[in-house]
Amino acid sequence: MQIPGHLKKIEKLNKLRARLDPLDDFELWFWATMMSGTHAVNAALHHAGVTEPVEAYAMQPGVYLVPQPDGCLVAKFGALGDVLHVGRPVIEAPVPEDVHQMMHAMERIEEHRDPCVREGRKPTREVVDACEQAFGECMAILNHRCPLE
Amino acid sequence: MTPYEHEATAQRIENSLRKCGPDDYEIIIEAAMLAGSHWLNARLHRLGATQPTQDVMHTYLLVVNELRRLSVADPEAVGALSTIEDLRPAYVRGAHAGGKEAAQRALSLLELIRASARSS
Repeated sequence: MQIPGHLKKIEKLNKLRARLDPLDDFELWFWATMMSGTHAVNAALHHAGVTEPVEAYAMQPGVYLVPQPDGCLVAKFGALGDVLHVGRPVIEAPVPEDVHQMMHAMERIEEHRDPCVREGRKPTREVVDACEQAFGECMAILNHRCPLE
Repeated sequence: MTPYEHEATAQRIENSLRKCGPDDYEIIIEAAMLAGSHWLNARLHRLGATQPTQDVMHTYLLVVNELRRLSVADPEAVGALSTIEDLRPAYVRGAHAGGKEAAQRALSLLELIRASARSS
């Protein structure tokens, strides 16, 4: 997607995060955090010129749904636009240090994904705090590059 | 995870869904995917098609032969989860028009998967 589209998604998801309780609603709170942070990384990668801000929606690495003039979506191979998650796919091109920090923050969040959302480990206040801190770092860097409204 | 643990997690996710409105269609689709995968895993474990140590995360990450095998166990539920997953690129990661309608479709498919799990 293009940068404004990512920023709009981030604003929506951040408002949703505020309505969810980090422990009682952990699964959706965590998922909204992860989705918002991934949009932030994509916006920053586009802003830095590392990836292409094209209106195409990632299906899997290298494959995108591309909107057509008639409103339909067509699956096509394409150059790297949006990543699905940090590391999927791995970015081979040089990444600026601040964006690298965002990606590292997202990796710290995502390490809790499978254990706490998929595999039944009970989320703790420590997990929530670690995710919140990493998310805050990610958003702060994004705001420096592409200020949110 | 045991069937009971999967069901409890799915129920937690569905409880949290009550805090979401129609405009939150991205997270509704994701919640349907997450809760649906937990209901499906409970179903597959109870049928003996998979062990509690062998959970399905996404149907598209299964090798083709395993997808075919699990589709024999419960073709409707496996197909429903796959259809929810297919909504994600356009409406969750992307900004294609029709997100609210897609979310309603995801919730209907989640109902189907839940009903299937509760029938076993």
